[in-house]
Amino acid sequence: MASTEIFFERGRWGHDLAWSAALHIGVTVAIVAYAWVATGRNGSNWGAGGGGSAMGVSLVSNVPLPANPVQTENVLATESKGLSKSKPQPVVEEPTAIPIAEKNAKKKPVPQPTATQRQPRPQPVEEASNVVPFGGGGPVSGPYAMFNAGAAKGGFGFTGGGGDFGSRYAWYVRVVNQKVSENWLKYEVDPRIQDANRVYVTFDIERSGRPTNVQVEQSSGVPSLDESAVRALQRIDTFPPLPSDYSGSKVSVEFWFDYKRSF
Amino acid sequence: MVKQHFMKRISNLLLPLVLLASASAQDWIKTGTGLGVEKVRIAVPDFKASNSDPRNADLLKTFNDTLWNDLDNAGIFEMVSKSFYPLGPVGAPGDVKFESWNAPPPNAAMLVFGNLAAAGNNINVQGWLYDVKNIASPQVLGKQYTDAATTQAAGMIAHKFADEIILRLGGGVNGIAETQIYYVSARGGHKEIWAMDYDGANQHAVTTLGTISLSPHISPDGSRLAFSSFTGAGWEIRMYSFDLNRLVSFTKIGGTNLSPAWSPDGTHLAFSSSRSGDPEIYVVDQSGANLHRITSSKGPDVSPTWNRKTGSQIAWVSGRTGLPQVYTMGSDGTNVQQYTDQGYAVSPAWSPNGQFLVFSWMRHYGAGAPGAQDIYIMDVVSKQWVQLTHDGGRNDFPSWSPDGRHIVFQSTRSGSTQVWEMLADGSNQKQLTNSGNNSEPDWSWK
Repeated sequence: MASTEIFFERGRWGHDLAWSAALHIGVTVAIVAYAWVATGRNGSNWGAGGGGSAMGVSLVSNVPLPANPVQTENVLATESKGLSKSKPQPVVEEPTAIPIAEKNAKKKPVPQPTATQRQPRPQPVEEASNVVPFGGGGPVSGPYAMFNAGAAKGGFGFTGGGGDFGSRYAWYVRVVNQKVSENWLKYEVDPRIQDANRVYVTFDIERSGRPTNVQVEQSSGVPSLDESAVRALQRIDTFPPLPSDYSGSKVSVEFWFDYKRSF
Repeated sequence: MVKQHFMKRISNLLLPLVLLASASAQDWIKTGTGLGVEKVRIAVPDFKASNSDPRNADLLKTFNDTLWNDLDNAGIFEMVSKSFYPLGPVGAPGDVKFESWNAPPPNAAMLVFGNLAAAGNNINVQGWLYDVKNIASPQVLGKQYTDAATTQAAGMIAHKFADEIILRLGGGVNGIAETQIYYVSARGGHKEIWAMDYDGANQHAVTTLGTISLSPHISPDGSRLAFSSFTGAGWEIRMYSFDLNRLVSFTKIGGTNLSPAWSPDGTHLAFSSSRSGDPEIYVVDQSGANLHRITSSKGPDVSPTWNRKTGSQIAWVSGRTGLPQVYTMGSDGTNVQQYTDQGYAVSPAWSPNGQFLVFSWMRHYGAGAPGAQDIYIMDVVSKQWVQLTHDGGRNDFPSWSPDGRHIVFQSTRSGSTQVWEMLADGSNQKQLTNSGNNSEPDWSWK
């Protein structure tokens, strides 16, 4: 008896339920309809903003971030990797490279680089800056030279891969030096710069003399200087062909640019 | 455990790779700017005769003079004066005493030496280029040549050897010792097209048309010469073939057609034509087809020259603002830029590396102005210019050598119009022609 009364006293929840359902459906339809209308009837305005301002995104490479003097990994995995890494070589090789004829010297580096590759740059950087330009401290057998030209000091240093390229073909190094220096347009550097750190650029010279694989190995911190250095290399169509009695297929060059405003 | 094993595996894989990479390690050169690179000091003692054939004396004289002049003219060497050379002839590698060459007085960096011998109908020349500062391995070049036993062949061998030396020591750019200059000469009564070696030797006529022929321009491969000639009905572009040694036909355009210029790939010619009334720049295929106009402004548009590096720009002279000024545009006529804005500027020529324009300019033009006409060079990017000639006379029609280091031009400073040559910085100006009136020189592309 009691249970049936409950049913009799069915309140007006059916009516309320119907209202609730209707309102829910109405709201849903309204949302869908609004979305359909507001977005152009076929979704063509999806994501259209209400006139918000766009943010310009600039390439990270154009932002003058402070230079990170860490060696880049995109130079070939040879034993000589710029200042701090090339330091060990002259000490190790020079004493033995001299008396041996050039042919043998080329075979020398094969066992050696495993040792140096393992060393994660043990040498402090400040030693490198005054050792490399002066030829790595080896005995004066190759045509090492020191020059003092205006504000810049420097010298030839020939290190690398059992490489006696520099000592055998000093005339070729001189031509490379002259050609790059000729093609470097200093006015491309931002005129507000007085003087800057060196920028090191590496590139390879193929047998035909064509320069390839131009990379900035160590930035100077001044983007316009780095770019002017790379453009100097790009301006060069070709160097002279590699010496005909040189047996390598190409030679790698690490070239530094010193910028100092002269007025 | 697994991790250790894994690391071991990785390092086992990497180790041979590392070894492999270093086994093919190439040599490194480290050098930089500011190292005070000056011109190479080169010593060129006379070549020796290696047998006692009586013809050797003449052949040697021609050979030695030609070799010395070619290396001197290259603009990249400092020639060590012969009065500083050690005594004793140098004819073979065994004769070279390094200490006497690389120390003062000669203080040379490079030594060129060799020997020459006439035998039968031929001459044999052996030549070496030595780096005398590198006693351990001095040889840079060692060459042997054989040719007919004539002075002309001896000269050609000297040109070839000099070009090899310049290629090695001059930064990979070919020497110009075997290039030709084409120009207009009136010495036969009519203005005809003539040709000569780059140093003024071997001057000879190319055309004998008996009319007025102007503005010779040789094609990049050297096989054809385009020029403008008066045909009785007007001025037309004519084509001379060096393969066939005669004129070949070219389309008739109508009007006054002048100064044909070759695109660096040899496929197009640009020239000025007044067929529509006012001289405008037209471009046509090298066969004469596809004639189309690329300028259309009031005032004369003449003297086009292509960007020799890219072939996508043309510099020319336009009178659209009044007096003639130098402009550049894309080779389709778009993107016109003005390069001079004063005086009277004519005859632009684009350098082989695409960086410079050289032209003839009267910066002060008009009544009461000094009116000197000189050759100027202008950097295409920065528009900075430098005056190259200062010695009076009217200097006009400059043309670049293919190595980008020399400029040939015409000048009236000697009293008559002659062809002159200088280095691209304005130094070393020398006269190449002497007889008659010679003008409008054009240097070959190789």
